[in-house]
This record gives sequence, structure tokens and C-alpha cells, in this order.
Amino acid sequence: MVRSLRILGLVAVALMVVSACGSTSNAPAAKVIKVGLVTDTGGLNDKSFNHLAAVGLAKAASTGNICSSLTCSKDFSVQGDVVESKTGDDYIPNLTGFATKGYDLVIGVGFLMAEAVGTVSGTFPNIHFAIIDGAGTDAKGNDLKHANVQSLFFKEQDSGYMVGVLSGLLEKQSKAPKNNHVIGGVGGISIPPVNHYLAGYKAGATMEDPSIKVLIGYSNDFNDPAKCKSVATSQIGQKADILFQVAGGCGLGVLQAAGQAKVYSIGVDADQKDSDGSVIASALKKVDVATYTSIQSVVNGTFKGGALTFSIANGGAGYALDNLQVSSDIQAELDKVLGQIKSGAITPPADIPPPV
Amino acid sequence: MPVASVVFAFVIGALIVLVTGGDPLAAYAGLICGGFGIDCTQGENSALQLSNTIVFTIPLITAGIAVALPFRAGLFNIGAEGQFLAGAITCTAIGIKLGDWPTAILLPLVLVGGMVAGALWAGIAGVLKATVGAHEVVTTIMLNYIAQWLLRYLIIGGPLQLAEGTSKSSPIGAGARLATILPNDNSLIIFGLPASVYRVHTGIVIAVIAAAVFAVLLWRTALGYEIRAVGQSQKAARYAGVSARRTIIVTMLIAGAFSGLAGAIQIAGVDHNLTDKYFSDTTGFDAIAVALLGLGSAVGIVLASILFGALHSGGAVMQSDAGISASLVLVLQALILFSIAANFLSAIRLRIPGLGQAPSAPAPQAVAAALLTEAAQAPPEEPTT
Repeated sequence: MVRSLRILGLVAVALMVVSACGSTSNAPAAKVIKVGLVTDTGGLNDKSFNHLAAVGLAKAASTGNICSSLTCSKDFSVQGDVVESKTGDDYIPNLTGFATKGYDLVIGVGFLMAEAVGTVSGTFPNIHFAIIDGAGTDAKGNDLKHANVQSLFFKEQDSGYMVGVLSGLLEKQSKAPKNNHVIGGVGGISIPPVNHYLAGYKAGATMEDPSIKVLIGYSNDFNDPAKCKSVATSQIGQKADILFQVAGGCGLGVLQAAGQAKVYSIGVDADQKDSDGSVIASALKKVDVATYTSIQSVVNGTFKGGALTFSIANGGAGYALDNLQVSSDIQAELDKVLGQIKSGAITPPADIPPPV
Repeated sequence: MPVASVVFAFVIGALIVLVTGGDPLAAYAGLICGGFGIDCTQGENSALQLSNTIVFTIPLITAGIAVALPFRAGLFNIGAEGQFLAGAITCTAIGIKLGDWPTAILLPLVLVGGMVAGALWAGIAGVLKATVGAHEVVTTIMLNYIAQWLLRYLIIGGPLQLAEGTSKSSPIGAGARLATILPNDNSLIIFGLPASVYRVHTGIVIAVIAAAVFAVLLWRTALGYEIRAVGQSQKAARYAGVSARRTIIVTMLIAGAFSGLAGAIQIAGVDHNLTDKYFSDTTGFDAIAVALLGLGSAVGIVLASILFGALHSGGAVMQSDAGISASLVLVLQALILFSIAANFLSAIRLRIPGLGQAPSAPAPQAVAAALLTEAAQAPPEEPTT
């Protein structure tokens, strides 16, 4: 039965989660800033942005002195609690749960929670909300611009551009596994944060190797590795030998498919070096930095509604080299491009150009 | 037996929590608070928790019936999820296209539309089973996939997509929405919270009526008698003048209508639009557990739905208060199913001579298990004269 197989898997995952997570406690007799984090259905073990958000929260909760301004005394401590959403039906109840318990800041992780954050932040105008990758929207996707909602956006194209440059260099110098000048990108769903990554990737690769062909595919899913694996396999069939995954937990299937076909893969959001031997680099989106920054603003009393954007220039995005030793000239080129993005000499595009 | 299954699940669940270094009492206190609003220690609002439980319970009741009814006819409907999605899609499509129609016409229309879509979706499997003998377990599973991918197509790049770069549909018109029991108003304070946080909607009335209809249909009508007759023995039913083929098709149509109704209620009452969250929806699969735990009876299904709704709602509180992952809830659900299935195994042993020591009469409480074995039997043979 499908159901029982699913459950078997869930039991295994649950055992890991049960042992891996716990809430942090607070110091006695201090003003406690309570922060509630609601993950999307990817869960804490997605090795991606849900995980990173929890890392940022844990850092805030364990740091003795999170304050950076004079208005904030040492008497503050941060208590962080996490709830994982099991289905999309949980978003509103989970956000509402923290809000009704008087949490100071409620953080929703992920673009897919935008509508839920929009609804709940309207009901609780006195509670601070933050959302990773999105804004508090209505059902039609319009930003409601609630003053109590902080939108934490990223220039994913910065990170995508860096791994694109690496891919382009490898193809140009014939250091890729098959050297057909074809690389691939597997997105989850065609939504802005995914497309930013892919747009930067394509632009960076094309800049280094103008003859390169960049295949773009979508699995229409963020959770099921099998779906991403099949998109990846078809791109490998079209001679792609470097695959960039932008699909959360689903994308782990891309890394596996690349490993089995002995081609290279590139991880996303977090450093996914350990996910598969085929991972040569990861495009980083520092959700932990963003989460920490948002919590800090509440502690400092400087919280402001509206958008905060994290990029290479302010240390909120970047890349990591993983299971591949790159030559010094490639490293030099990467350093040069990183500097150019930082200084504004290069502005990676946010949108994928339509196929010609 | 169902109570024993639940107790068994909770005992094993407690051991799992204990072994992994958690506190089982704290975990279950969180579940009880989250599910029923009882004994909340960390500022949870009891009324809100109850309201969440009811919202989760409503679709499980009608979807559970969609699994239980075919059980009675010896059919194993794994396709409640697909039928649920077909209902949700149709409800949304009608609710958008005719969005400015008045409630009096549009609301019945979207609900009936969802039922018809669910019925047709299940009817495909029913007709295939009755005519060429294709096993309904296989066909309904495949139809689930088709519905899931159809949904993906429709709201990502397809005709129902809200706008480029989104993965959801437009909201349905105001006339297509089921009213919430309490007014959707932020300034009205009820039980200490703005009234709009309580999302219980009038779908609860429809779900209770559906359960009553199911009970009457099964026990007080000729069709119900035929369904049960076919479920117990197709040969005997045929001898009594019941057409197994016709009964199979009709049963699947009705079951699909119940499941489609669940999908339509979820759109009309809770979400108001199709979103990517329906990609990972599990209502139709949870419904299988609900139907088994409820022993296929109307009252049992309602009680089992409340239990599963409470587990769903309680999981989040358990995680935020006790630090135990909400996944424990899925473990508990799996353990409940497991202990029912274990009974199912003993029922098989009883039926095969020479395996184990069979008592003189089959245990009467193995109803659900016996239904399962009936469901696993070969497709019907009809006299061709």
C-alpha cells in the first residue's frame, strides 16, 4: 500500500527529527524575547532554508549578547521555539498559535507561506512577523504592506551567478566530466526565488563560455526527490554534465542522479557538500544570517516593516566550493567576479531571458 | 478493537519518545492541549485549539465515508485522494468562472460540481472493475497520480494559474464560499481572540449530514442491502438477483461523490483557492485510516476523524511546548494502522486451514480486517447469459 510505504519512510524520518531537535531554554529573571519559527512542509531536515532558519534562531538563542545598541541592556535573552508544518493546512494554525501565545516575533519560512503570513499578520497587528523569501500577501499575491511584517528577500542571482561562472569555466577549460558545453538547472516550481538563482546561473555560465547551452527544467515539486531525479536524468540524457538544483528537498534527487551518472552537481541554499559526492559547489543563501538579523532588530527595538534584501554585497549570499579541487586560475576568476558583484561592476540578472 | 489499537499506538509512541530522550507525559500533554484545548500550560487558547481540530476533522469525515462505503461492497478505494482533488479542482473552476453569481445559486453549484467530479473520477475505476475486471486498487492509485499532476498543470502554467511565477489559482468568488460559524471580523473579540482566528465553517453541518446519509443508505435502503450483499459474497448476491456489476459501479460513483464533496468543502470553507499545498495533501490517504479505525460505520468514522483531527492539531503544540517533533503524530497514526493491520493478518490465518490454531468461529470484531480480505479478492464474474 502506498500509504504504508509512505508511513514507513515517515517513521524513519520522524525518529531522526525527534532525536535531532529540541527547544532552547531561557535564562531566569531576564526579559525574554520569544521567537517562534514555523517551517514549511520541507521540515527541519531539508538541508536547505528551513534548516538554516533554525540555525539562525539557535544562534540568536544561544548568544549571550545579541544586543548591538545602547537601548538594549544585557537583561535580554532569546527563547526560540520551532514548529514544523506537516501539510500546507498547518501554516495558518501554526502562525496563529505563536501569535496567540504572545510571541514577540513569528517567522514564516518560505515563499509558499506568503498568503498565510498576510492573513495572520492582519489579525495580530501588535505581533512582529518576518517571512523568508516573501511578503505578507492577499489571495491574489498582492503585498498587503502590513507595518508589522518584515520581508527577508535575497539576491539569489548573486549566488547563482557565482556557480554559473564556475560551471562555465569548467566547460570552457574542458575540465567537466563530459565537456559537451551543456549544463542543466533543475528548479522546483517556477516562482521568483527559484528563477533568480537560475537566471544568475545561466548568465554567469554564458559569460565565461558563450557557446554553452543551459537547460532549464522544473519538477513542480519541492519535497519529493524522485520527481527531481527524473528531470535531472532527462537533462543528463541531453548531454548536460553539470546540474544545479534549486528545489529544496526535491533537489536532493538531482544530486543523487548526478552522482549515479558520474557527472557534477551543484547544491543550493546551504552547503550541500555532504549530500552527495558529485556536489562540486553550493550556491549559498544565508537564511541564518537573515533570521538572526531580524531577531536582532526586535531585540534592539529597531524592527521595521517592509523588505530587507540580502546579497553578496552585505554578506547574505555567496557560494562554497565542495568536492572538487579547482585550479588557481579558476579560483582567481571566481574571486575577481565576486569582487565585481560586491562593488556593483556586475549586476546578475534576476529573470531568465526567454529562449530565443 | 479500535480502542485497543489507539491505546497500543500511544504506548509504543511513549516508548519511542522515551528512548529518544524526550518526556512522553509532556508530549501527550501537548497533544491533549493542542487537540482538545484541555490543560494548556503555555498560554494556548483552548477555543482556538478546538476550532483547529474541527477544521481538520471536517474533510476527514466525508473522505472517510468514501473509503468505508466501497469496503462494504468488497472494494478497496485507495483513490479518495484523487477524487478529493477532482472535487477541489472543479469547485475552484466553477467558483472562479461564475464568481459574481449569488450565494444561493453558486454555493450549491460548486458543492454539487465537486461531487459530480469526484463521482466521475471514481466511476472510471468502478466501470473498469465491473467490465474488464481491472483491479480497483491499481486503477484508483493511478487515478490519484493523474489528479495530482492535472492539478500541477492547472495552477502552474495552466488555465487556472493566477499569474506568471505563482503556483496557485485565483480565489473563488464570495458567493462560492461557505460561511464561517463566527464572523470573520478582527475587531470582535471572542474567547480572548479576534473572531477571525476561529475558522470553523458551515461545512461541519454538511459533514454531519453526510455521515447520516451514509448510515441510512447503508442500512435502510435496498441499494445499501445490495452493497453489503455484494461485499459478503458476490455469488450469493447474484443468486439473490443482485447485479454485482451495477452495484460496483454505483458504489464507486457514490463514494467518489462523498470524496469530491470533501474537496469542494475544503476549497469553499477554508482555502478559497487552489494552492501548491494541495500537492502534498493527504486527506484521501488519512481517510483510509479513518475508515478502518471507524470500522466502516458512520459513528465510528466521525469519532476516528475527530481523533485524527485532534492529532493533527495537537502535533504543533506538542512540538512548540514539549520540543517533540510533530512527526510523532504521523508515527502514532502509523501505529494505529499497524495494529489494525496486525488483526488483518490474524484474520487471514483463520481463513487458511492448517495455518495456526483457528477458533471455531471467526472473531466478530475483525470486521474491518474481514472487509480487507474481501477487497483483495478477484474481480467479479457475471453470468453472460
